[in-house]
Amino acid sequence: MVMTRVRTLLAKELLDLSRNRLALLPVGLITILSLVLPFGIAVAIPMLTGQELGSDADLVKVSGVAVGHESLTPSARVQLFLFQQFLLLFLLTPITGAMALAAHAVIGEKLARTLEPLLATPVSTGELLVAKMLGALLPTLVISLAGLGLYLGGIVATAAPGVAAAMLSLRTALLAVWVGPAAALVSLQSAIIISSRVNDARTAQQFGVLIIIPLAAVLVAQFTGTFWLSSTMLALLGLGLVGVWLLLVLLSVAIFDRDSILTRWR
Amino acid sequence: MISAQHLTRRFAARAVVADVSFDVAKSEIVALLGPNGAGKTTTMRMLAGLIAPTSGSVVRARIGFLTESPGLWDRLTVRENLRTYASLYGLAQPDRAVERAIDVLQLSRQASVRAAELSKGMRQKVALARALLHEPAVMLLDEPTSGLDPEITRGVRRLLDERRAAGCAILVSTHNLDEAERLADRVAVLHERLLAIDRPAALRRRLTTGRLIVRVTGDPARSLETVRRFDPAAAIEGPALVLKVADAEERTPAIVAALVAAGAGVVEVRPEMPALEDVYLRLMGR
Repeated sequence: MVMTRVRTLLAKELLDLSRNRLALLPVGLITILSLVLPFGIAVAIPMLTGQELGSDADLVKVSGVAVGHESLTPSARVQLFLFQQFLLLFLLTPITGAMALAAHAVIGEKLARTLEPLLATPVSTGELLVAKMLGALLPTLVISLAGLGLYLGGIVATAAPGVAAAMLSLRTALLAVWVGPAAALVSLQSAIIISSRVNDARTAQQFGVLIIIPLAAVLVAQFTGTFWLSSTMLALLGLGLVGVWLLLVLLSVAIFDRDSILTRWR
Repeated sequence: MISAQHLTRRFAARAVVADVSFDVAKSEIVALLGPNGAGKTTTMRMLAGLIAPTSGSVVRARIGFLTESPGLWDRLTVRENLRTYASLYGLAQPDRAVERAIDVLQLSRQASVRAAELSKGMRQKVALARALLHEPAVMLLDEPTSGLDPEITRGVRRLLDERRAAGCAILVSTHNLDEAERLADRVAVLHERLLAIDRPAALRRRLTTGRLIVRVTGDPARSLETVRRFDPAAAIEGPALVLKVADAEERTPAIVAALVAAGAGVVEVRPEMPALEDVYLRLMGR
């Protein structure tokens, strides 16, 4: 693999994206939603209604089971529980964003008829797919990490005493820099595979959405207190996702069939 | 420079290209002719290494490939498009190569314009510039002047002449028979199989019969017997004698000599060669 070629293609991807900022709108919207929802529920609503979070016995019970932190007041514990739950939403940001971009990665080149001249250069399939993967991952990761920075900054500024310190934990770090990017890699690599096998961007995107289903299940299970992802589980989950991603990389290179891509497109 | 040996390409059971062999030499332009679906683009793609032949082999030097569609990245400028390709080709001085290509194709005014804003002709010129960036020894051009206005078409032909003079082997796929005749040293007619490949004049000689128009002083009827020795069906059309001859260039001196020996005064001898279109249609069986 020649890295200068990967860098060249990546630079082209980023330049192209910088001139098509609407493509990043879904990521931006999800980031905003991921910020508005938790602060609305955990901070604004209790403030506006005058009803403390700790007054809901069910929430206090669930938050105690899931998080611990006995030294916190009941309201602070519920707030911490909610902020930790909503942290999972930040997993969705790079996943949906990267997926939307990656779903368009190969099919977009096909439809614009730019793939044939590109494949006539010395670019290898691996180089092309790595550049496409990074081109989709980097912008969404930057946006989601910026959102996460705002999220944590907001918690420091508005949450009850002790909540911010409790949030700045290994679990948060694992979610932000390990599980999140790993899930995004799996998502976008799947989207790239689909993108190189279909003839229509809509089909690629619809298949890509399926990746959100297991994540949504984890989110719901956590909210209901059925299931709690500890730091160890998160570390293992991240590892598993990276393993899946590596397999998908090999698969995507193996099934990227230049011949049929060029001869079957219409 | 390019050598295709027994190239065959099947899609499922259907052969799109069958047992095609030809060479394109250094400083030569070969025009690939054929109807839609004849296998021209498939042949080009096999020669460019984009798709694999089902059987057969290709030997080629470093190629520049002009695809059927220009395939430019719309949101990038002309210079950015070319710069990306120059880097992908691994050129030592990519910026210099880009500026040279822009200069050769006279694209300086459009260099900072996004590809989406270019006309079809300009897009085609940029695609040609892209194919020339790495100074390839072989150029494969899939319908390079399709849909272009006469001015740009002439510019493209001039450029191809220059590349040929510089030693490039060029294969041009086209539907334009007039262009093939003007541009190419040889034409190859493809319809799944290679039906013929030769110089246009040689194909005409081989596959069609030309006419020779001879005007003599006085009544042409007096010379009719003389010319019927060369074409028993020779006839008089207006003031001239008209003969059908397979190779006018070769036979004209003998015909003129016979007429003069018979006492005729030859005023004009004009060969009428059939167009390449006639050759093409004959090969297509129409």
